[in-house]
Amino acid sequence: MTFDENIPAPDALRARIAQDLAPVSPLPPPSRRVLVLLPIALSLLYGSVWIFGLRRDAPALGLLLTWGASLAEMCLGLILCAAALREAVPGTTLSRRMIGGAFVTSVLGVVLVTWLTWLTSPTRIAPEALAWVWTACLGATVLTALPPLAFTGWLVARAFPLRPAIAGALYGLGSGLMADAGWRLFCHFSDPTHVFGAHVVGIAVACGVGVGLAKGMRGTGR
Amino acid sequence: MSDARDLEALMTRYQRGEIEAFDELYRALARPLLQYLTALCRDSVQARDLLQDAFLQMHRARRSYRPGLPVRPWVFAIARHVWLMDRRTRSRRPAASNELPDLPVPAEVERLADRQALARALSNVTADRREALLLHHVWGFSFAEIGQLLGIRADAAKLRSSRGMADLRRELRTQ
Repeated sequence: MTFDENIPAPDALRARIAQDLAPVSPLPPPSRRVLVLLPIALSLLYGSVWIFGLRRDAPALGLLLTWGASLAEMCLGLILCAAALREAVPGTTLSRRMIGGAFVTSVLGVVLVTWLTWLTSPTRIAPEALAWVWTACLGATVLTALPPLAFTGWLVARAFPLRPAIAGALYGLGSGLMADAGWRLFCHFSDPTHVFGAHVVGIAVACGVGVGLAKGMRGTGR
Repeated sequence: MSDARDLEALMTRYQRGEIEAFDELYRALARPLLQYLTALCRDSVQARDLLQDAFLQMHRARRSYRPGLPVRPWVFAIARHVWLMDRRTRSRRPAASNELPDLPVPAEVERLADRQALARALSNVTADRREALLLHHVWGFSFAEIGQLLGIRADAAKLRSSRGMADLRRELRTQ
């Protein structure tokens, strides 16, 4: 065989294509698709404050370390979800450096906010409440991450992710950050061992769930 | 090689459900895709099978193409994915063929040796460098497009391509 010959479209392939040639509407760009997550992200941000109230040490922390830090965390989460939506379109996959950069930025962001919060208002958990608070914060972070996880998972599956694990890790991490952005507005325990042991573990669990979900949902939205 | 704008217009018509647009897309893309798949799997018979599979996957993924974006990186990424999935399946089975496939040759080195020697030299270049080299020099992809297709940075794609070209010239000198 040489490459000079003409390649006709095989009849069998053409017939299969013709059988299922319904018109489709092209997907909007990731920056527009991610906007549909905004109501979920905002309800996560305000939900815990509305139900449980703002953290007790909010006056000591000030506007920047309460609402400012949570808003930044939510925006980072939305950016990661947009990156997952971009990753799900063939030919626009992200480079390893961009993916690594997204994960490192997330970790550094959480570490910075935790450190600044601890410096400004150090609050520890009483030993007898340790297990309960840990369970509540870990469980709440994972549970509240589920709505954005499911919704972004569906959006990603509607595209054509060639590397579902990477797309899932990105939107899992993004959903975890959005969930934590809301939950940290209520949880006033700034002890780094609690933040990393419960909140960050919750974000990591959401990331893992995202990987599993993206692999499982692959092709379901097409 | 088809004009990028023509391909975009065809893809839009294909998304609207026109079978004639699929026929034209097939005519425009089948040959470069077959060359690409042959370069990846180094087996022309297998490449033909993969080509059909790539067009089927392209059909399933047609919603994910966004009008205004170049079509070829989108299609080549799907073809590459089809090859990777096939390679994963085949890794559990013994290799089928050792034949030297008819690899496309970059125009820059076409005068340096006969086609057979060029193809042999090209097949000795490492797979990742050969892929970047062919994508840039044969099919005219920009380094940014290659980066997005392979999941690497544009400068890494450029490095792979230039090292591939250096390897190819070295291979030709030693032959």
